[in-house]
Amino acid sequence: MNRKERIILHIDVNSAFLSFEAVHRLQHGATVDVRKIPSAVAGSQATRHGIILAKSLPAKAYGVKTGEASWEAKQKCPGIVLIPPDYPLYMCCHRALVRLLKDYSDKVQVFSIDECFMEAPGMLMKEESIRFAHRIREHVRQELGFTVSVGVSTNKLLAKMGSELKKPDAVSTLFPPEVGKKMWPLPVEDLYGVGRAAAAKLHRYEIHTIGDLAETDVKLLSYLFKSYSRDHGQMLWEYAHGVERSDIMTSGPPTKSIGNSCTVHFDVEDRETAHAVLLSLAETVGMRLRLANLCGRVIGVSIRKSGDLVTYSHQVKIQSSIDCTDAIYEYCRRLFDAAWKGEPIRGLGVWVNDLSSSGYIQLSALEKDWDEKKKVDRTVDAIRAKYGPFSIVRGNFVQSGLAPLAGGAGGDAGFPVMTSIL
Amino acid sequence: MKIRMKRLKMIFWADENGRITPIRFLMKQDDASVIKVGSIRVMERKEEKLAGNRMLIFVCQSVVAGQQKVFELKYEIATCRWFLYKM
Repeated sequence: MNRKERIILHIDVNSAFLSFEAVHRLQHGATVDVRKIPSAVAGSQATRHGIILAKSLPAKAYGVKTGEASWEAKQKCPGIVLIPPDYPLYMCCHRALVRLLKDYSDKVQVFSIDECFMEAPGMLMKEESIRFAHRIREHVRQELGFTVSVGVSTNKLLAKMGSELKKPDAVSTLFPPEVGKKMWPLPVEDLYGVGRAAAAKLHRYEIHTIGDLAETDVKLLSYLFKSYSRDHGQMLWEYAHGVERSDIMTSGPPTKSIGNSCTVHFDVEDRETAHAVLLSLAETVGMRLRLANLCGRVIGVSIRKSGDLVTYSHQVKIQSSIDCTDAIYEYCRRLFDAAWKGEPIRGLGVWVNDLSSSGYIQLSALEKDWDEKKKVDRTVDAIRAKYGPFSIVRGNFVQSGLAPLAGGAGGDAGFPVMTSIL
Repeated sequence: MKIRMKRLKMIFWADENGRITPIRFLMKQDDASVIKVGSIRVMERKEEKLAGNRMLIFVCQSVVAGQQKVFELKYEIATCRWFLYKM
């Protein structure tokens, strides 16, 4: 790359939740940096949210993995320090990072709580772009106290893949001419867009590295992934070649789906309790839909089994779009009853997609009329907006031990923690 | 100087531009006794934004328990709390 080009950077906070906590503690007088001892941020075991959300490098050396149960982590590393999550702190760090990045460029895309894309102002040569990335990395460390890995390239995919190459506190380039050398030897599951199911499928066809994927006939990939979306196979093939064309989205991606899930603090073994949990999730989902002025035609329910933690789901497409809590709950209940095989349940999820603006709803003579219930929703939403989300709750949650509104990270709910759209 | 991070009761003044200056503070010791420190001379002021949390840092000098000492005070803007950070 010997000419000036548009440069995209991907900024990824290293062990984000743990780093945020470490810096916060040091600022408040802690003498031990939790990043330097075996430690991890983990949810509460009492409410069965006890999974590892982020771990320190010394904990990683013991084989502690993100996503595993905290008791497993304790078995691998008995002296591990477990820290409860603090979402308001993470949001404070996130906002500070975005503010700092916006001092350098007005084209900043928030990708998740600990990741951002940004477009460098103007066109830059390769060396200039590396210097620019180092300046940002250094500035974040000096001012905010945590470290970031920066990926530098000419599109978002390669910048994101680049930031994974070297951690922590590092700058890595992955320009299109470097794809063959730096990206193709990586395992295929490291490619953005290849999840667990897609990776298993690719392995069955002896596609083990990103290089293997790049050399595969695109028609075969389109055939293999036809159930995902029309062009998923083509997209993966392009990604393997480092081709990606989307712009930096400063206003956030359009909402494709709204959903909430929760882990229940005991095993749900009867239908009535499961229905109550679905209702509390439907309350949250319905409220978020109405707040965004959206309604949807596809309603889905996911069930997470208690023993092997395997999740299965069921969804239905209905005639007319809905945003009414009772309507969502009604469909969820039917879906659950049709799908549930009677095993103990660890968690449940509810989602609504195929969204459209709630200003234009195609009515159907075949569907139930939810007008009365919608009036109730409007009133309840107004009360909650004025007096807080728990100011009015359904009577069946009183004394039930269940949350009347389930799902969400707490604090600034609705934050896009994960997205599959670059 | 050692890190103390003790909460303080503080009297400070603010000028018309919002610039604050510590004047005197009261600190409870672990044995429940109280130390009063006045006539604080601010030698340096800094600001930190670690983890996005703004804190003002004052490097000060005064007489503490009969001895001339240098110490650092911290003021957390989000919570309006004062701390003896280092002494």
